[in-house]
Amino acid sequence: MLIGFLILAVLALASAIGVVVAAHPVHSALALIGNVVTLAVLYLLLNAEFLAAAQIIVYAGAIMVLFLFVVTLLTAGKEERELPEELAGQRLWAGIFAVLVGGGLAYAAVRYSGGVGVKGAPPKSFGDLGTIGQALWGPGFDYLAVLALMLLTAALGVMVMNRPERRRESAGAAEPSAPPADTPLPSEPPRAEAGGGGGR
Amino acid sequence: MPTSWVVALAAALFAVGAVGVLVRRNPLIMFMAAEMMWNAAALAFIAYARAWHDLSGQVMAFLIVGTAAAEVGIGLALIVWFYHRRPRLDIDEASRLKG
Repeated sequence: MLIGFLILAVLALASAIGVVVAAHPVHSALALIGNVVTLAVLYLLLNAEFLAAAQIIVYAGAIMVLFLFVVTLLTAGKEERELPEELAGQRLWAGIFAVLVGGGLAYAAVRYSGGVGVKGAPPKSFGDLGTIGQALWGPGFDYLAVLALMLLTAALGVMVMNRPERRRESAGAAEPSAPPADTPLPSEPPRAEAGGGGGR
Repeated sequence: MPTSWVVALAAALFAVGAVGVLVRRNPLIMFMAAEMMWNAAALAFIAYARAWHDLSGQVMAFLIVGTAAAEVGIGLALIVWFYHRRPRLDIDEASRLKG
């Protein structure tokens, strides 16, 4: 168990650093998929079976595929170097900040949560589909309802953000010069993709 | 495995994600680093749910997954929308906007 945790921790940290240092966003997205899958296995070790499955389905399945779509649409065949930083010392301060935050939180975790909790193994059904369903539809139902409302709002927001613009642009392109029908508007495919992705 | 180690791992992941948001200038990579910070928070919730044998922590982690899905939908739409107006993947382009 402990060995497994250590291996998973090393994998998670390595893939996390890979996300941050990757030169191209596609490599970032692939490293993030590795990170998500590693965390899902870690959830399994922590008796969260349902959440491990949800993590794989929602994160690796839906969110990361959407990310990969957008990354390939926006950066396909382009090699962009990042401009030099305009804010002086930004990277230095970011490093100091991260060491302070991460070190402080990790110290607090090790120092104060050593002996907390209930002794012994949790019940066998802890975290499986039945118990978490009862928790979500029983005491946690308010959260579930708010979450549903939020997802609906997000889908509506994406549609509102993208739809009127597309209509106006295609109408404007069709009226004055009437370009040949087989000439694709350069900006059309990504926008259609974003609308479809948001409606997911 | 001790709860404190798992929470320490979550803290380290959170810090790495924060560095990514602060240092990188590609909005897509910044967004992915923010996703990692969400994941670190969910990991801490699940570790404490295991420690206390209490499912509320897992309910919260489920909320985090759902919230992240909504956030990705809106955020990627914003990035694509912005990219069509300023076709350069650099977050500093946003500072030249005039309201």
